[in-house]
Amino acid sequence: MADLEIKDLHVRTEDREILRGVDLAIDRGEIHALMGPNGSGKSTLANTLLGHPAYEVTQGSIFFKGEDITEAEPHERAQAGLFLAFQYPVSIPGVSVANFLRMAINAKREEPIQVKEFRTQLQHAIDLLDVDRAFTSRHLNDGFSGGEKKRAEILQMAMLSPDVAILDETDSGLDIDALRTVAEGVQRLHDEQGLGALIITHYQRILHYVQPQFVHILMDGRIVLEGGVELVERLEREGYDQIRQEVGAAVGAGDGDA
Amino acid sequence: MPEPVAPLPRSDGASPQREKAGRHREATLYHALAGAGAGDGRSLAQLREVALRAFERLELPVWRRSGFWTTSLQTLELEALENDVSATAVPDVVRRALPERARAGRIVQSGGSVVEVELDPALAARGVILCSLEQAFELHGELASAWYSKRLPIDRNKLEAANAAFWTGGAFLHVPAGVVIEQPFEIVYAIERPGVAQYGRTLIVGGAASEFKVHEYDLAEDFDGEALHAGAFELYLQDGARCRLAQVQDWGRGEVFDVSTRFVGVGRDAYCHWLPALLGGHLVRQHLELAICEPGGDMAFRGLFFSEEHEHLDLFAVDLHEIGPSGGDVHWRGAATGESRASFEGLIQIDPGAQRTHTYLQIHSMMLSPKARIDAIPSVLVSADDVSASHGGTVGELDEAAIFYMQSRGLDRAAAVRVIVEGFFEPLIAELQDEPLEAVVREKIAAKLAAAREDIEAYATSR
Repeated sequence: MADLEIKDLHVRTEDREILRGVDLAIDRGEIHALMGPNGSGKSTLANTLLGHPAYEVTQGSIFFKGEDITEAEPHERAQAGLFLAFQYPVSIPGVSVANFLRMAINAKREEPIQVKEFRTQLQHAIDLLDVDRAFTSRHLNDGFSGGEKKRAEILQMAMLSPDVAILDETDSGLDIDALRTVAEGVQRLHDEQGLGALIITHYQRILHYVQPQFVHILMDGRIVLEGGVELVERLEREGYDQIRQEVGAAVGAGDGDA
Repeated sequence: MPEPVAPLPRSDGASPQREKAGRHREATLYHALAGAGAGDGRSLAQLREVALRAFERLELPVWRRSGFWTTSLQTLELEALENDVSATAVPDVVRRALPERARAGRIVQSGGSVVEVELDPALAARGVILCSLEQAFELHGELASAWYSKRLPIDRNKLEAANAAFWTGGAFLHVPAGVVIEQPFEIVYAIERPGVAQYGRTLIVGGAASEFKVHEYDLAEDFDGEALHAGAFELYLQDGARCRLAQVQDWGRGEVFDVSTRFVGVGRDAYCHWLPALLGGHLVRQHLELAICEPGGDMAFRGLFFSEEHEHLDLFAVDLHEIGPSGGDVHWRGAATGESRASFEGLIQIDPGAQRTHTYLQIHSMMLSPKARIDAIPSVLVSADDVSASHGGTVGELDEAAIFYMQSRGLDRAAAVRVIVEGFFEPLIAELQDEPLEAVVREKIAAKLAAAREDIEAYATSR
């Protein structure tokens, strides 16, 4: 069984069913890209994997490192080694980036991390992500620019060393420099720590900087096409509509961002 | 400071002009003291006599605010309470609550008696006085009389009168001109058992260009039964004096009523940073007035409160500008859990002649349970034209998106809520600029959150 295994996942919100049978398997050290048009269910999948209370799993299951986590609390999933980089990171006023990181690290340890060890790790992550030292004493995401928020997400990912990270449209709204920094950060965590990643994106841009080994295309709540990096190139050439016609997925999926 | 003035007619809910105090039906905001003190050269004995007559004449006050808020003392059995002067030792609750730290001096009152006075001998040698207010009238009568009750009324309502008539012990601090002190003075009022009526009375005078810090602690053991703290506090800063005043109040789980009037007067070019942290009491009604009394005065008026269970908290904070140019900056934050109710009125009052006053008031509140309620009422009374005065604020609930965000990083729900609430108060706590005191406030807030954990969980699932 893969480290993260999603089987026949059906998910609904209060008003409608969004995922209609998703199967996906991700191992540590693998980089997967999940692509799809707006409204296909990408963010729903990301949030469901971390246990967001607004999404109800009606069928299927999620296994992580052999454990069924379908009903687990969000913090239990995180402590087990899952990570979600948010599309829209939330600001936490009054808490510095460094203090928040310390709390998050301590949440999955028996003994609190030693000050020296924490500093070393933090410095390493700062170097990796090309952020200013002063950044870590600012309140988390409070007044951050879009690029700073995404950098802060990757900084947290680097510090928490998850086994599998889900990056929910981390590339959206970034200029090319910020995009490159973020993408290189992911690539290095993959190379150095053996991070497994599910990069969820609407565009192809970020995939020029992080090379996925596996590409999945999500439409109308189902994975309709899978392949290697060549799928990204094809998508760039043909667009989602062409693929939609080919796989015969239901028309009219672009009805709002799910 | 201006010369003492005659008491003004008032239309406060507890006005002495009314036979049935507080029983009127008019919807009204509260009124500033606005200079209405008793300090007019009468002796202490005379003032006690006036206060006693007012006490006998007046009924227990009722405060009504704009028709939707009432603070009533009808469950207070005043006759059953006594001013207990039997204590001789520092209470356990004080030993538990106060941080180990360097200090300039400390005075502790338990019930009606002062049980400890300690003052750095080096400061005593420089003329600093820290003693009970009783002793101040014995040993430094001229100094104490000159300031005593200068801006605090003694016959406005029954409990202010009770304090002025019956106070024992008390605290007196005088920092002479030019003396600058790094470590804080600690003033402690403690109630150890039910049945006690504590008439705490503090008088502090900061001489010209003095600089000092005062930390007041109001504490009680967790007991079953009623007690009363009817407090009177006055602080006067002379020309160029600077003071950082903080107050940590936590009356525990007993039925402690706290009805207090507090006044801070800022003199010419003087400055006060005042931060009350009101963290618990069965029924708390405080009138907190910070007045710029002479040109060039400046102040930062901060405050935080946290009510829980069935507590009732009524705060009236006045930012008073009697003369300009002057500066003010008022910033309060409050949270409520359980079925507690808190009402905060912040008044900016700019008197005629207080030209070139610039002040701002903000109040932020956070409801942590479906049955908790916080009303925040800013009001502005301006009688000068060359001024700027404005107010703002927010009312909030727990942000579920922020909670999920933190959960996704491994924090459980309770920890996430704690981060949010602590983050909410943190801008003010950090302003204490005193690590031991900051730790005390943070720990008290954390303990209250832990106690309210189930309640907060229930709120989340109900939404």
